[in-house]
Amino acid sequence: MAKSAALQMGQQVGASFQNGKKQEDLRYRLYSLAIIIVILAVWEIAPRLGLVSPIILPSFTAVVGALISLMQQDFFLRHFSVTLTEIVVGFVLGTSIGLVLGIALAVWPAAKRIAYPFVVGFQAIPKIVFAPLFIAWFGFGMSSKVVMAVVVSFFPVLINTMVGLESVPAEARKLMRSIKATPLQTFRKVSLPHALPVIFAGVKAALTFVVIGAIVGEFVGASEGLGYLVELYKNQLRIDRVFAVIVILAAIGAGGYFLLEWLDRKLIFWRSDVEGK
Amino acid sequence: MMVEPIRETASPIVAAQDARPPVIEISALGKTFTLDSGPVVALESVDLTIRKGEFISFVGPSGCGKSTLLNMVAGLLSPSQGEATLNGARIDEPSRQVGFMFQTAVLLPWRTVEENVLMPAEIFGTKTQALREKARSVLEAVGLGEFLKAYPQQLSGGMQQRVSPRTLTSEPDVLLMDEPFGALDEFTREAMNMELMRITQAAGITVLFVTHNITEAVFMADRVVVMTPHPGKVSGVVDVDLPRPRDIGQMQEQRFTDLMFKVRGILGHG
Ligand SMILES: Nc1ncnc2c1ncn2[C@@H]1O[C@H](COP(=O)(O)OP(=O)(O)OP(=O)(O)O)[C@@H](O)[C@H]1O
Ligand SMILES: [Mg+2]
Repeated sequence: MAKSAALQMGQQVGASFQNGKKQEDLRYRLYSLAIIIVILAVWEIAPRLGLVSPIILPSFTAVVGALISLMQQDFFLRHFSVTLTEIVVGFVLGTSIGLVLGIALAVWPAAKRIAYPFVVGFQAIPKIVFAPLFIAWFGFGMSSKVVMAVVVSFFPVLINTMVGLESVPAEARKLMRSIKATPLQTFRKVSLPHALPVIFAGVKAALTFVVIGAIVGEFVGASEGLGYLVELYKNQLRIDRVFAVIVILAAIGAGGYFLLEWLDRKLIFWRSDVEGK
Repeated sequence: MMVEPIRETASPIVAAQDARPPVIEISALGKTFTLDSGPVVALESVDLTIRKGEFISFVGPSGCGKSTLLNMVAGLLSPSQGEATLNGARIDEPSRQVGFMFQTAVLLPWRTVEENVLMPAEIFGTKTQALREKARSVLEAVGLGEFLKAYPQQLSGGMQQRVSPRTLTSEPDVLLMDEPFGALDEFTREAMNMELMRITQAAGITVLFVTHNITEAVFMADRVVVMTPHPGKVSGVVDVDLPRPRDIGQMQEQRFTDLMFKVRGILGHG
């Protein structure tokens, strides 16, 4: 009598569903590949046929050649590491500041009421306009670019942290209250993990902004860095090298993004789209 | 004899139970919410004495203040009038002697079922091997023994609901249940109810059980508190003098039907 059969029922996931999904994934990957091939082909053929001037758009193979020769130059590593340093430092500082401010505004209602209007007002400013000012304030070196990167990148982290922390379901809060959890325990065991997926989305957005911030800073005033190289080669009309630098910047952005994506999967293993395992 | 001032008189057969000490005493307890549109009387002046090991059902239509009452007894909501006491002490904050089963299971998706069950123990600082065993036995009792290491999102909705009795792991003296099995199918709910009744009776746990279902309310309870809305109040208390342990067969008895009619009658009159 004690336990009825109704309580013993489990359930299974169909294996065929998983198979179908894999095939679908493969098909979409093939589509993407096809699109890339078409783009590269047009890029290669258009300048060769004289449809566009090679000064405006160097062919794909020309860019690859420029990329290889650029990477073999002695000065390349210096410019590369300057920009990479700006990006990494700017990213770490920007996301940290966003995280700390976001937590402060979420857990401290008075702080939110006082500071939030300023935060929103600040976000309304197109912060790129500060670039010349930062050069004047912090000089031509890396610090002005790092400041620029931080200023453009902390906001998505701040807002996502705040929203994530505030979206903890009322029932979960009630549960924690009913077992007399301290605010710190509730924060660590419930609010923070709950907010993590949303925070991470903000962090990914921040990465894009950091790269933009650093490069714009270098455009406005610098003597080193990949942004500086773009300016330099543009002025020398070596457009193939401009494209080569762009490819490198794209690779930095993509590399960072995939790193974050990987970390995201590791950290937030419970996402609803995680199947099986 | 029952001395608390309730309108519906107690049936004479329960006199023997009165020797048990009172655990929860509710006196003139009321709650008024102030909304922009004006005050809402969620609960009006409730008086009730609940003795150790008693199983009390609360029935009534939506909005009659059942959750409000339970939340105040849990110390999660402060009363507007009157007070509730737990073992003589005024309740003004949650107590670890009181377990609460909510309308939803509230499972954290980054914790396994077992880790979710052990969360209160983690907070209390009592996460021991003995407690793990206890958690296992509670989960086995609800048929989730094989899902200890599963994540909540890998369970069906109904299976997630069945984790609710986890609060028993902390061995509370008082158990508050706010329709924890409301979303379950009838068979599973019945089985869960039987299991819960068995565990709480064996451990001498005092239970306050909220439900919409009159049959369930009568079947489980020593007393049924009947509540009516606008404003939320207690309209009567019906003593259930059916012998224990209960089994489904008792539902066919005339006495059971009479008791259900009695509850229905009070609900009808308001
Ligand atoms: N936080 C709140 N703020 C304002 N009014 C509230 C609040 N909580 C409950 N009420 C009101 O108090 C009354 C009683 O609500 P309560 O949740 O206690 O009802 P209930 O009997 O549990 O209903 P149900 O069976 O639907 O769960 C309702 O009219 C409701 O609108
Ligand atoms: Mg309710």
